[in-house]
Amino acid sequence: MKKVLINLAIIFVFLIIYFLQANFFTGFRIAGIMPNLFVILILFIGMFMGKTLGIVYGIIFGLLLDIFIGKTLGITSIMLAVVGVIAIIFDKNFSKDSRIAIMIIVSISTIIYEIGIYILSHLIINTDIELLAFIRILLIEVIYNIILTIIIYPLMQLVGYDIEEEFKGNKILTKYF
Amino acid sequence: MYNNKKTGKLGIIITIVILILLVMLTNVKSNQMYTLGNIVNKLVSPVQQGITYLKNKISGNNTYFTDLEQLREENNKLKEENSKLEQAQREYEVIKTENETLKSYLALTEKYSSYKTVPAYVINKDISNYSKTIVINAGKDDGITENMPVIGNDGLVGYVISVTNNTAKVQTIVDSSSSTSSLTSSTRDNMICKGTIEESNVLKGTYIANDANIIEGDSIETSGMGGIYPKGIHIGTIKEVTNGKNKTDISVKVEVAVDFNKLETVLVITK
Repeated sequence: MKKVLINLAIIFVFLIIYFLQANFFTGFRIAGIMPNLFVILILFIGMFMGKTLGIVYGIIFGLLLDIFIGKTLGITSIMLAVVGVIAIIFDKNFSKDSRIAIMIIVSISTIIYEIGIYILSHLIINTDIELLAFIRILLIEVIYNIILTIIIYPLMQLVGYDIEEEFKGNKILTKYF
Repeated sequence: MYNNKKTGKLGIIITIVILILLVMLTNVKSNQMYTLGNIVNKLVSPVQQGITYLKNKISGNNTYFTDLEQLREENNKLKEENSKLEQAQREYEVIKTENETLKSYLALTEKYSSYKTVPAYVINKDISNYSKTIVINAGKDDGITENMPVIGNDGLVGYVISVTNNTAKVQTIVDSSSSTSSLTSSTRDNMICKGTIEESNVLKGTYIANDANIIEGDSIETSGMGGIYPKGIHIGTIKEVTNGKNKTDISVKVEVAVDFNKLETVLVITK
């Protein structure tokens, strides 16, 4: 029962983030650049809710985003699934208590996500490649994402461990012995 | 966690299959996903419209507390201006009738009045930094189909790439994947205007002929080639001409007439 509630809450949070991203952040840019909260959300799901859910939610949310606003189906979906995979790799190898580690993983996955989207959309929709402009936008976006992570990090931890216990059980010790 | 390798492998295989299916889905044109898009949009678009309405209300209200004195002064000034405009209007009417009679002599057809348009609000903007599509609140029920051109108050906005019953997705001309065939108004030189990710209100004009006469400040309009945009819709003005090392290496920066950051209402040309 609690699991169902958590899943519903995740979908609700996704919709809130979508409206924030489409309406709030379009008027609240740093140097004309918006952050990308979806990467942070999928990282959170992948880290605290376990293996499959990270990828599954990545694919579902990506498809929804493509239907809402995208030009072709699938690009966002594939890259958000990749972010889910990154979250799993991170969860296996590092501690989630470290703030620095979370910041680094957020920046790495933002970079991989945006580069992937750029390359895929170049291949499929045939956009021009403007390397310098792309790097500038990417750097500002990463910085914006890190700032947002610092702000919502306490909340992530507070909710995260409750969710982790529900989905994975208390496996923290069995992993090492 | 690592004890059952079989399920791990199975998981990886399932993921790969799902990803391959997704790639195949990508090749399906998004208009064939019409029903799915419709259902999803039914759920989301009321909230979207509500939020946009609220936002417009709030951003419109911050002038409410300005000085009363200032308002009175402004009122007087506007009244004066109004009378001047009325005068101009009368002159315009005279010229218009004269123009019509002259045109009927020449048997020219009217350029803009032959278009049928549907007004719409912009209810959503893009969530990514690299693409600039918008969503408007008019769809199939209002007679909108794909590839219809969309214009704003000042000029060309873009064209419709997909529709649902109540909403339509519009790819703007400043999006980095759109390219518009265009002409300079005075010298009639052809060029292709492409969107860039570098600046949000600038297009890059390329494929310009060697002997073309490009002047800064000249206005750019659509050429009518390509089958989507009708001829003669204003796009913007030439801001800067750059000459490369080679003679063929001319490119221009075109400042678009429409302010895409503040775009709120658009017109869709249905005919």
